[in-house]
Amino acid sequence: MKKGLIISLIFFVACSQALLAQDLIKGKVTSSEDNEPLPGVSIVVQGTNKGTTTDLDGNFSVQATSEDVLQFSYIGYLKQSITVGTQTTIDVSLEPDAQQLDEVVVTALGIERDEKALSYAQQTISADDIRTARDVNFVNSLAGKAAGVSIQKSSSGTGGSTKIVLRGNKSLSGDSQPLFVIDGIPMANNKGGQPGMWGGNDEGDGLSQINPDDIESISILRGANAAALYGSQGANGVVLITTKKGKEGKAVVTFNTGVTFENVMAKPQLQFDYGSVGGAKESWSYEKGDYADNYVDDFFQTGVNAINTITISGGNDKTTAYFSYGNTSSKGIIPENTYQKNNFTLKQSTKMANNKLTISSSIMLMQEEVENRPPAGYYLNPLTGLYFFPRDRDFESFKNNYEVFDETRNMNLQNWFVSDHHQSNPYWLINKQPRTDATKRVIASIPIKYEFNDKLSVQVRGNYDYADKLNEQKFYAGGNATNVGANGRWSYHKYNDELVYGDAIITYNNTFGDISLNGVAGTSYQQSTYGDGISVDTETNSLLYPNEFFFQNLPTNVQVQSTYTSKLIKEAVFLNATLGFKEVVYLDFSGRNDWASTLAGTGNDSYFYPAVGLTGIISDMVVLPDFISFAKVRASYSEVGNEVPFNRISPQHTINSGGGVDRNTERPFTNLKPEMIRSVEVGTNWRFLNGRVGLDFTYYNLNSQDQFIRLPAPSGSGYSYYYVNAGEVVNKGVEITLETTPLTSQDAEWKSTFNFSRNVNEIVELHPDLSDKIYLSDSEGFQSVIEAGGSFNDIYVYKFQRDDQGRIILDSSTGTPLKTAEPEYIGNLNPKFSLGWTNGVSYKNFGLNFLIYANIGGKVVSQTEAMLDGYGVSKRSGDARDAGGVTINAVQDDVAVTSIDPRSYYTTIGDRNGIKEPYVYDRTNIRLTQFSLSYNFNTTALNIPVKAASISFVGQNLFFFYKKAPFDPELAMSTSTDFQSLDNFNLPSTRTFGFNLKLTL
Amino acid sequence: MKKIYIFLTTTCLLIFSACTGNFEEANINPYQISDKSLQQDFNHVGAFFPSMLSNLFGNQVNHNLVNDSFVRHLGTPTPFVGGINNTTYYIRWNGYWDRIYNNIMAPGRQVIQIAEEGGYDVFVAWAKLIQILGIARLTAYHGPVIYSNYGSSETTILYDSEEQLYTQFFDELDEILAVFNANLDYTGMANFDASFDGDVSSWIKVANSMRLRLAMRLSKVDPEWAKEEGEKAISDAGGLILTNDENFNISLYGAFFHPAQICFQWNDTRMSATMESVLIGYNDNRISAFFDPATDNTLYPDHPDSPYKGIRNGALLVAKDDRLTYSTISSDFENWTERPYFRAAETQFLLAEAALRGWAGTQSAQYHYEEGVRTSFSEWGAGGVDEYLMDDTSLPLDYDDPKAEGAVNDFVNRIMVTVMWDEADDNETKLEKIMTQKWISGYMNSIETWVDHRRTDYPKLPFNYKNDSNADWGVIAADDFLRRMPFTTNERTGNPDGVSDATSKLGGPDEIGTRLWWDTGGSNF
Repeated sequence: MKKGLIISLIFFVACSQALLAQDLIKGKVTSSEDNEPLPGVSIVVQGTNKGTTTDLDGNFSVQATSEDVLQFSYIGYLKQSITVGTQTTIDVSLEPDAQQLDEVVVTALGIERDEKALSYAQQTISADDIRTARDVNFVNSLAGKAAGVSIQKSSSGTGGSTKIVLRGNKSLSGDSQPLFVIDGIPMANNKGGQPGMWGGNDEGDGLSQINPDDIESISILRGANAAALYGSQGANGVVLITTKKGKEGKAVVTFNTGVTFENVMAKPQLQFDYGSVGGAKESWSYEKGDYADNYVDDFFQTGVNAINTITISGGNDKTTAYFSYGNTSSKGIIPENTYQKNNFTLKQSTKMANNKLTISSSIMLMQEEVENRPPAGYYLNPLTGLYFFPRDRDFESFKNNYEVFDETRNMNLQNWFVSDHHQSNPYWLINKQPRTDATKRVIASIPIKYEFNDKLSVQVRGNYDYADKLNEQKFYAGGNATNVGANGRWSYHKYNDELVYGDAIITYNNTFGDISLNGVAGTSYQQSTYGDGISVDTETNSLLYPNEFFFQNLPTNVQVQSTYTSKLIKEAVFLNATLGFKEVVYLDFSGRNDWASTLAGTGNDSYFYPAVGLTGIISDMVVLPDFISFAKVRASYSEVGNEVPFNRISPQHTINSGGGVDRNTERPFTNLKPEMIRSVEVGTNWRFLNGRVGLDFTYYNLNSQDQFIRLPAPSGSGYSYYYVNAGEVVNKGVEITLETTPLTSQDAEWKSTFNFSRNVNEIVELHPDLSDKIYLSDSEGFQSVIEAGGSFNDIYVYKFQRDDQGRIILDSSTGTPLKTAEPEYIGNLNPKFSLGWTNGVSYKNFGLNFLIYANIGGKVVSQTEAMLDGYGVSKRSGDARDAGGVTINAVQDDVAVTSIDPRSYYTTIGDRNGIKEPYVYDRTNIRLTQFSLSYNFNTTALNIPVKAASISFVGQNLFFFYKKAPFDPELAMSTSTDFQSLDNFNLPSTRTFGFNLKLTL
Repeated sequence: MKKIYIFLTTTCLLIFSACTGNFEEANINPYQISDKSLQQDFNHVGAFFPSMLSNLFGNQVNHNLVNDSFVRHLGTPTPFVGGINNTTYYIRWNGYWDRIYNNIMAPGRQVIQIAEEGGYDVFVAWAKLIQILGIARLTAYHGPVIYSNYGSSETTILYDSEEQLYTQFFDELDEILAVFNANLDYTGMANFDASFDGDVSSWIKVANSMRLRLAMRLSKVDPEWAKEEGEKAISDAGGLILTNDENFNISLYGAFFHPAQICFQWNDTRMSATMESVLIGYNDNRISAFFDPATDNTLYPDHPDSPYKGIRNGALLVAKDDRLTYSTISSDFENWTERPYFRAAETQFLLAEAALRGWAGTQSAQYHYEEGVRTSFSEWGAGGVDEYLMDDTSLPLDYDDPKAEGAVNDFVNRIMVTVMWDEADDNETKLEKIMTQKWISGYMNSIETWVDHRRTDYPKLPFNYKNDSNADWGVIAADDFLRRMPFTTNERTGNPDGVSDATSKLGGPDEIGTRLWWDTGGSNF
């Protein structure tokens, strides 16, 4: 794989004109590892610009004189220089470079750079690492593999959205999501709606559609420094995805087939001994009964994910082509939840005009469909009714008869024991409220590159990313009356996301004596239009006729809406240059000017920002002890403007469902400015013991100012809301990557990598007019806030009132715990630090790979546990009844109390607005995130007609070494900024395991 | 090479400075409507009225769990927020303020400006009238509110004292009436007025009736002024809303009647215990138009022939499910398409009180009292009004909560007046009768009923069973009622000097027990 990566990254130099009075030197280049020929090795006659590359069989021929020195270089291998002398045939065996110091990496805009020249941190993850665990969404596979990257996947099951934040939350109004880029071109990643405390569904994002098997590698540019060339949208960092390309040579066909199974791993602990009293919906009897205890476990099923991919790649020295088809088919852990994805990718690249002109094209077609994606929150969630169900009642009868015939309406309606907004028959919900979330998408691009010579080239690219999306749910008559009209409800949202991108880039590389110059200048145009479509939701306005879900059946008082999330036109010119001195010191500077349509009319729609970086290779400057093989220091400073949301300058008026017009009452923000992030980053790389130990350390300080904040206007001001540029958010932290190779021998190798990151977020100030906090979430006594002096996602909840001895104060009349008057600070969501430990062990044909991931510190909140306590169905509430009371260190009217009645205790602290203090948990968790054991067949020895074959056992999220919370704290109810860290009847976390077979023909 | 960069950069700069021309258009949502487009058919002055009118009415936490509960019209089965909330005198919801400012005052201010610039005098007057309709309700919640300084760009925005407010209301009503009277044939409002199809003379009746309503609020605190403004309203040639045909109802514009949604979709409101006590006690036939029978026939052993059951306001509630079988509001409300703001019955009861107070221009108090009852019966399509008016024995019932043990939530009726008018009664008794009937007829429009109850202490409603008031928002005595809503938290933090000035204008602490200006306490005469 590594070789493939390298080939695709190489910058082909094609200068094969013969020169005078020279001999033709021929030869073959092979790898010392396996003696296989190396195609595409660069051979340069030192001191000239002459050179060539090896062909598919590793052969080369070049004109050179006897005094010339040929330099052989190939990514991933040590350079070799050979004086021609009298030889006419030079066979070279290149040694692999364990250190890979000179690795060419893809940076912003697809520009390739020597990694050692970079003045900022960048971490690259290979295709193998991404695919090991066979997650349907490639983003989830990045967790723990790079420092400074926080990834939380939605609790909504397969194909759900992902929250990814690099180096902390920077924006008070945005979601701090990084920019995703495919082969140098930004891709659309418009996130749909997210659930909250009261319910809702994850409507996915723009990432899950990508076929993981098309990915060659992923580079993560964590800092704004690295992203300066992408402008505003790169302010939160950039995730660069490099996809596979066709390779020269005979057609190579690969089959990849994998099946994984998924089951529940962290479900709430429930009691099944105590039932209800007097028909109540709560199970607060103190009499033990013999009740069914299996219906919760039985509700969940084993999920299955099947991923099959075929790729065909091939070509000659002029033209290469790549084709892939991928099919993903999944069944969730909740009945009726399925996921389907089909991916077609076709790429080609042709060289013409003496190999100076390269015309490439890429088309990715994607189709994704999720049926019945599980919701979270209170409403219409099958888990509420499932968990709450009174233990003394017969669940089976409701399971088997989730609908019953209603004579007054001559139709089937829901059968459930209680009419309550929080719960419905779980089987009714999964069968009679079918939901579809579907995406059809195309990403097509045409890059055209012309190389004037090996110094100067120009590239023009065009890209079109178009997605047609549907979120539809049909609620049959008989659904919960709080959410569904008597004749049913129809919720329908169909829309397009579109992104048009074009750029033109001139690249100039040259050396002037000791000075090298890598220069890039370019211009780009980008237009994104998100959420342009149509939407209707009847909510509780009943449909005209029951159970028919189309427009003709809408009641007259329901508004069909044209929807439009945002439009942004961005134009830019940019310049980036790296000056190298003797390949020892590099000075990098860039500047960019953006024009953004969201700032039109403010006079601030054109804005410039610079970046500068300095890199020094210490090991090439001074003589270091032998055990140090490489040392580098780097520093950079950058400014990046962050664009503001759409349509804030002069919003218009809206037509309401009553046919009137709602006047816009937000104060027009005519002097709006871009947010500005100033970033300082210093770092150092060290390699010891011939590269067997490598250390990368980065310190950064990101200062975000002029934040875009929406504030409620003073009541008397004449406006309802107004906007300000204000506030200051600082994120500072360190990232450490330690790469080791504890063992390396002919047959065996063990590589072990630690990624450590710590981010400290500080809200330095908000706006002087903002005397209160900014509430990211505020519901049911749970608050997640931003407050000056605090940090992003500070959590506030009601606590126990305590006396000065720390005893819980009980109400003098009722004897139940008293809660604080207001929610109080109890901690911050974000972990203190994160640690990923990746291990790859190979022995002969076996490979073992595992990743242990830890988040240490932080707080999370479970509203689920509070509700289960209030309903008397938690195991805790049952144990307390077994024990005859809850042990408590309390005081009532100056009398110490050591035991309290379970019902009065749990109904006071639990339920909706109780005392959330006991339901706040340490987020710390350490888990085996990824595990795979693979075997590579020796196909020659086996005499089977395949080039390579491997089979692997894969597992994901297999178990926790340590976890305090009663749920998986890394699973997000919402992947936007609100309701972070909250569990409210989220789908339980799952463990995945299965097999994968890969054949190369 | 440098030349290429310079060329490129220059070209790009030229291209982009030329290309940003469509930026402003790109930054506009195409599915919103612009001021320019709205000029067609005069929508730029008219199209905002439906939205402003709709927002005179608040939602569940603006009305149903606030004034509807304080006046004991509707009761909730739901122990919201652990059973400690507005209905038990601990303030959790105080959102009517924001609705009025964000949805009536803010757009109204813009509409007035546009209409003034365009010379649309009637629209200016109409928008000002709607602002009065809103602010007159809001001051009944809080006392001093922001009105004359509205739209100020100062950091501190001062509230008006109640006296200033009423002065401005009456002055503005004069101006509004002058404009309306000068434009009696104006038809420009027709497209935007679902209540009266743009009939200016109907809006004159609304303005006059509002003047009478506001004047009566001042009858105790400033009797002379009240009489002057009241008589002015009564004597105005434009007339008052005196028959049900003239009722000022506001279209729901296709929306569900919100109390029906609260009752039937959310199961969060039911008949009040007081309504059960009064309507059954008086044998009032409006009961079946107001409420549906309880669905559990074991709930009313004390009056088995009247199958209704209500929930006590400020009750001790354990589980929401306990009282869902009590009487809902009538399912007819699910079909309502408009909602009352000012009804003829109220005018009749205002005139009855005016007669008691000796204001000129009225018939006898008895006439207006009986006309008020008849108008209300007719409005609800209830029969037997003659019998009802002749009943001089029936009294409201004591209440028993069958879902609570012992005396929990029970109350003993305090209303000791019968329905039949007795000219021999003293004014206090006559006023109690008027107010008791006005209370019944105010069903589904309870803000003014809440004003009347605080002003006159009639009808003799039951107190809260559960009283969670404490120092946080102010303490309400066990034998008293909540007197006002506190200033909002946003204002307390965002406009502290304004609130502190307002508190001094209020004349007492910013608490729920502080009486408003017109709520003088003492004798009614």
